Amino acid sequence: MTQEAIARTRSRRGLPQPHSRPTVTEEELRLKDYITPEDVMNLSCITKDYLCSHDANVYDIDFIRFKIRDMDSGVTLFEVAKPAGYDPKQHHTPGEVIDPDAGRFVRYHFSQGFLKLQSVGATVEFTVGDKPLTHFRMIERHFFRDQELKCFDFEFGFCIPNSKNSVEHIYEFPELPSDLMKEMVENPFETRSDSFYFVDNKLIMHNKADYAYDEPDVAAL
Amino acid sequence: MGLMKILKKLKQNEKEVRILLLGLDNAGKTTIMSKFCGKDVSIIAPTLGFNIETLEFRGYKLTFWDVGGQRSLRSFWRNYFENTDALIWVVDSADRMRMEDCRKELHSLLLEERLAGATLVIFANKQDLPSAATSAQIAEVLQLMDIKTHNWLILPCSAMSGDNLLKGMEWLIGDVSSRIFTTE
Repeated sequence: MTQEAIARTRSRRGLPQPHSRPTVTEEELRLKDYITPEDVMNLSCITKDYLCSHDANVYDIDFIRFKIRDMDSGVTLFEVAKPAGYDPKQHHTPGEVIDPDAGRFVRYHFSQGFLKLQSVGATVEFTVGDKPLTHFRMIERHFFRDQELKCFDFEFGFCIPNSKNSVEHIYEFPELPSDLMKEMVENPFETRSDSFYFVDNKLIMHNKADYAYDEPDVAAL
Repeated sequence: MGLMKILKKLKQNEKEVRILLLGLDNAGKTTIMSKFCGKDVSIIAPTLGFNIETLEFRGYKLTFWDVGGQRSLRSFWRNYFENTDALIWVVDSADRMRMEDCRKELHSLLLEERLAGATLVIFANKQDLPSAATSAQIAEVLQLMDIKTHNWLILPCSAMSGDNLLKGMEWLIGDVSSRIFTTE
């Protein structure tokens, strides 16, 4: 039933078209009182540094699981979860300095075969503190050097106080030209992403990731 | 051109369908959605918020919103009504004790202005259980014949085996599409 149900269209899309938006630099954005979704859409490249401090997250939004599965084989390609009840403040030794930016950056190692996947499900799980979120929105931009590979824009809308929520996007990967794919493999960590989170159109979280395609291929791929 | 026509045109270009899954707790909302999206349904925890799935199906971009059904969460359902094209109401066919509660919750949703006109699919879930009521019995207890404000369909189903989920989704898409995406 499942394979039939998910008889998705197999036409693969190309890379996003370069858009004709006004461009803005992160230095300009840093001067603003708060940063909006339009602001980050107007950036033409990956940011060098975070556009908000970790304490801008006054809503206690906490990402507790991230998972990627290949829709064709059903195989989980990547999964990371925080242990239930984990509190970093209780796990540090006295005198140790806690890096406030820890947890905002993730480095991924995938295999080359990852770049050839057609259809992938990416799941994120998060918890919300005791304040309701009215307009929660995520914008994620992926670049290789200065070329945009993919942009996600998703509006969660309302989130229930003290809730645990999950979202999975099942999407078709853009078909990458083979010379670009080769460059991405040969230049680890030059594929990067910025994840921006907004509540009521104000930036409250900014996470970053970079990617290397240097793991051995697994049989399933 | 009226506002509704403009909205219809916008939706037509994107072919986006927003589907809200509601029902009492333990009805099987998350399991139905997960099964349809090809996920493992052997361990499903109670939903204490929402689960969202987005996928392309038959040329449409579907977004499922599955919101927890526990009594304490039901007052938050209203926050998810906006822009809903279809409502899937999930019933635990073996939970005969709570059918009256189930009927009341469903009928109060149908009065909601923001759900007016939404396509309605009722899944009489857990047909794999021997104690399950039939969909005809459930249709009667839930007084579905009284519903005149929404296009509706009831189907017996099993989220565990996947039986009838595809049939329900195809009817849902067909009904939404004939209401919203018809060419003028």
